[in-house]
Order: sequence, then C-alpha cells, then structure tokens
Amino acid sequence: MLDWLDAFLITGLFEVVMIAGLGLLLHLQLGLARIANFGVVGFWGVGMYTFGVLYVKVDWPFGDPWQFLACAAAATLVAGLAGALVGWLISDLDIDGVLVVTLGFATAVQIVATTEADWTGGAFGLGGLGFPYDIGTVKENEFVWLMITGLLVAAILFYVWRVHRSPYGRLLIATGGNEPLARSLGKPTFRTKLWLFVVTSAAMGLLGAMEAVMVRYLDVGHIGISITLAAIVGLVLGGTARVWGAVVGTVLTVGLFDIVIRTYLPLPREWYSQALPVMREVLFGLALILVLLFRPLGLLGDMRRDQLMRKLHGR
Amino acid sequence: MSEAPRPPNLEVAGLRSGYHGVTVLKGLDFTVGDEIFAVLGANGAGKTTLLATLARLIPVMAGSIRFQGRDVTQLRPYTTAGLGMGYVPQEKGVFADLTVLENLTVGGMIGRRPHDERIAEVFELFPGLRDLQGQKAGTLSGGESRMVACGRALMQDPNVLLLDEPTAGLSPLYVDMFFDKIRELHETRGVAIVLAEQNATKALQVAHRVMVLSLGEAYAVVDAADLTTQQLKEGYRI
Ligand SMILES: Nc1ncnc2c1ncn2[C@@H]1O[C@H](COP(=O)(O)OP(=O)(O)OP(=O)(O)O)[C@@H](O)[C@H]1O
Ligand SMILES: [Mg+2]
Repeated sequence: MLDWLDAFLITGLFEVVMIAGLGLLLHLQLGLARIANFGVVGFWGVGMYTFGVLYVKVDWPFGDPWQFLACAAAATLVAGLAGALVGWLISDLDIDGVLVVTLGFATAVQIVATTEADWTGGAFGLGGLGFPYDIGTVKENEFVWLMITGLLVAAILFYVWRVHRSPYGRLLIATGGNEPLARSLGKPTFRTKLWLFVVTSAAMGLLGAMEAVMVRYLDVGHIGISITLAAIVGLVLGGTARVWGAVVGTVLTVGLFDIVIRTYLPLPREWYSQALPVMREVLFGLALILVLLFRPLGLLGDMRRDQLMRKLHGR
Repeated sequence: MSEAPRPPNLEVAGLRSGYHGVTVLKGLDFTVGDEIFAVLGANGAGKTTLLATLARLIPVMAGSIRFQGRDVTQLRPYTTAGLGMGYVPQEKGVFADLTVLENLTVGGMIGRRPHDERIAEVFELFPGLRDLQGQKAGTLSGGESRMVACGRALMQDPNVLLLDEPTAGLSPLYVDMFFDKIRELHETRGVAIVLAEQNATKALQVAHRVMVLSLGEAYAVVDAADLTTQQLKEGYRI
C-alpha cells in the first residue's frame, strides 16, 4: 500500500499543513485583531512538550487512543492558560511591547524545555511517543496522521471563514483597528482580545501535540524561531487579511521549499544538514521582502470586504 | 398624577481628570438637561479631555459623573455606551478597515430596535452615505468619515451624544449642513447633545447653553443667548 507515496512527501506535506494551521491562527490574532504575536512557536511548543511529557512520564490507567486524547486535551488546556497569561500581559502594550513579550515567552519555553531535563529529556530529547493506533507500516501510520491533522487544519480554516462573515469578525477588526473607539461604542475590547488569544493559543498547543505524535521524538531544536518565521512569512506572503492567505502563502513557501526543492531536486547529500536550513531562511526572507515591496497586502491582496458585504446584503 | 421629575442627563460635580498625573480638568461642575450643550474653548482648553472623560475613556481623578441619575464615575466605557452615551471622537472616528455599512453595523450591536430600521434612519439623516456603504471607511474624505462616525453613534440609539468638533476642517457648506443636522437630531429624536467646538459663532446658533472652558476650568456656564462677547474673549484669552 501507498507505494506511490514517498515518505519524504508525507513529512513535507505534514509540515505544510502544520505551518498553514499556525498561520491561520496567527491570521486571527494579527490579521484581524492586530495582535503581533511573535511567539507562535512558544504556544506550539508548550502544547508539544505538555503532550510529550504527560504521554511518556505519566502512568496512564488506560491505553490509546484514550491516552492520546487525555494528553492532547491537557496540552490544549495548558497552551490556553499560557495564552491567558501572555494575553493578559500584552493587553495594554503597544506593538513593540507585544513583540518583546511574545518573543520572550517563546524563548523562555525553549529554555525551560532545555533545562528541565528530568521531564523533557533536555538537549538529548524525549522519546517513547507513538501513534495512538497501528494500522501497519510507519508510512501508513504517518499517512493517516497527515490526514487527521489535515482535517483539523481544515476545521480551523472553516472556523476562520465563518469568523470573517460574522459580527464577531467585525468586532475583532474594529478592536484591532481602533481599540478606544470600539470601547466607547460599547464593546468589551479587553475581554474580546483576551478570549481570542486564549482560544487561538490553545489551538496552537493542540497542533503542537499533533506534531509531537508525528515526529515521535521531541528535541528542543525543534521549537526554535524558524517555526514562527515560517508561519509569519506564509501569512504575510499570502495576505494577512485574507481567509486563504496563510494557506496560499504556506504552500508557496514551505511547500515549494520542503517538498519541491528538498525532496525532489537532486541536491548533494551534505547540503541537507547545514546549507539547506540556511538557504530556507534566506529564501523566505527574500520572498518576504519582495512581497512587501511589490504587493504589501500579500499575494491575495486586500480583504475585499466590500464585495463580501455586497454579496451578503445584495446591494 | 404627575411623575417625579426626570434627573438631568448629565450631572458633573467637581470633575478632575487628565493624563498620567497631569491634571487637565481642574474641577468642573455643570449639568446637561434635554438640550444642546456647547463646550467652547481655545486649543488645549480641555474640550477633548472632557468629552473623553464623560465617555469614560479617561479615568476620573476626583469628582463624579451621573448619567440620568446613575453614578457612572467608575463604570467602563462599554457599560456607559450600553446605558445610552454615544461618543464621536475628534479624530480617528471610524474603523478604517471596515466598510461604511460595517462601521454602522458595529455601532448597532447595542439596543433592541431592528438593525435595518436604524440603518435606514441614518441614511435618511445622511443621504450621502447610502452610495458609500460598500466603501472602506479608511478611504473616505474628512467630511464623509465624520458623517459615518456620527451615523455610527446614532446606531446606538443614544440619549446623550458627545460630539467632539464634528465640523473641524470641513468646508463652509458642510459646516452649515452639519449644524442643521445636529439641531434636527435634537428636535426630532430628543437626543441631548454635548458639542465641543472652536467655532463659537456656529455653536451659539444651535446651542441652548454653553460652557466656556479656559485652561481646564469653567470660565462661564450660561444660556447661549446670555453669553457676552466679553465673556467669550476672556474665556478664549484673546
Ligand atoms: N494623551 C495626552 N497626554 C498628555 N497630555 C495630553 C494628552 N492629550 C491632551 N493633553 C493635554 O491636555 C490639554 C487639553 O487637551 P485637549 O485635547 O482636551 O484640548 P482641546 O480643548 O480638545 O483642544 P483642541 O481644540 O485643540 O482639540 C492640552 O494641554 C494637551 O496638551
Ligand atoms: Mg480637542
């Protein structure tokens, strides 16, 4: 089974799905509510390590899939709590403050994952994770996990699409665009932003748990800033304000690089460990600069809310 | 059987407020009934500070604000908005990323009357907005965005409308139209209006009473008809 499918392709697709999911959640934060979260990987990492530690170190009275569900739920919850804390800290800050705090949070998560070696395995990493099912070969299991994660990200996409058509979406845009004005109009902006941040952070944590299952071996190098950058580059490239922005942008960046270049181009072997990751950052940075120069609103451009409203109201 | 007299729309006593420990308003006392109440004063007199304080966007340092008999001094802006306080700021009065129609819709989340009915009323008052409803508010002209900001405040069905220099920077024709609208609003819908203005002549044509602010103090609170040129000049320190 699945002979037609390359194992690298599964990993590459999973990466695309994962970054697109993070980009969609970032879109809600940054594109609508204008919360410049530069610590995406922090919430993702909290979910990933909460999941991993609970899954491996705790003696569960039940097996999979319940063990997976319990740990994933806990990962989501803990990431949501982290979101509540960070969201509360940044609620009154301007953009530079938000940047520093979220970036600092992500760094702190990586440091804690390194130093708390008893729990996390530290620099050596944490093994012992696995799929909550077994249907055959590793490749088949990975393929099924790709499908499940793909469904989860599709659900996130659907949610984003719904938000764009709802009063809640307008409230987010209003709050992001002019918070004092929104407040004077009777909108509880603090609560709105905090709740959005909690929910989106929790979802990032859940994606982290999904990643933990896929890689099955957690290592602190995995929760570095390149994840955040990939999500930001994908989102900005596609269009910060558009529903499909993160998806389109991620396919064109991570997809192009991790699948087409890394998997299918005949590159010298020794490039893979050193040169390729650097090339990736350079190319992503270049793409970002080009887009900001020539299409500052992203490839998909503006929100087209005018057309949307016309469609909705038939005027 | 006669009803108990309704409390005034706004009762302000000993109001002090400002920014980061700097006191701008140095103890104001006044009431606003069912009327158009103009707040006049030179640049920096504290008009914007007063309106933002009334809208509960700036914390009160001392004194109290009562809104239709209820103490709102410690309430949050979204609560007072829900009670019927509409606010149109001097600057940045629209959500640039939302369309005109969406801007109005955001204002209409408060209140019970049907949304479409209220939109129709706003378009009746500002017919120009009807053709602009699909346009992003960030691309409107100054006068158009003032109309949107006013329209959005009206969507809340306010009992009191705080207008901060609604006609600043508008062409004379627009200015006249706007003051007519303000009067129309008050007369047809019974909305009490607190109007901050530089343009004393225009404001005095529509206002019932005026307060002249001078460096954060009420130089005079009198009937509009009784305000003397002398008082105005001294209030403006010219
Ligand atoms: N955010 C702020 N921080 C500190 N001081 C401020 C702030 N905003 C206004 N001020 C000061 O408060 C005083 C009153 O300003 P305010 O904006 O209320 O005046 P105004 O009467 O509305 O003037 P204008 O007619 O120019 O709009 C001024 O001296 C101003 O410098
Ligand atoms: Mg002012």
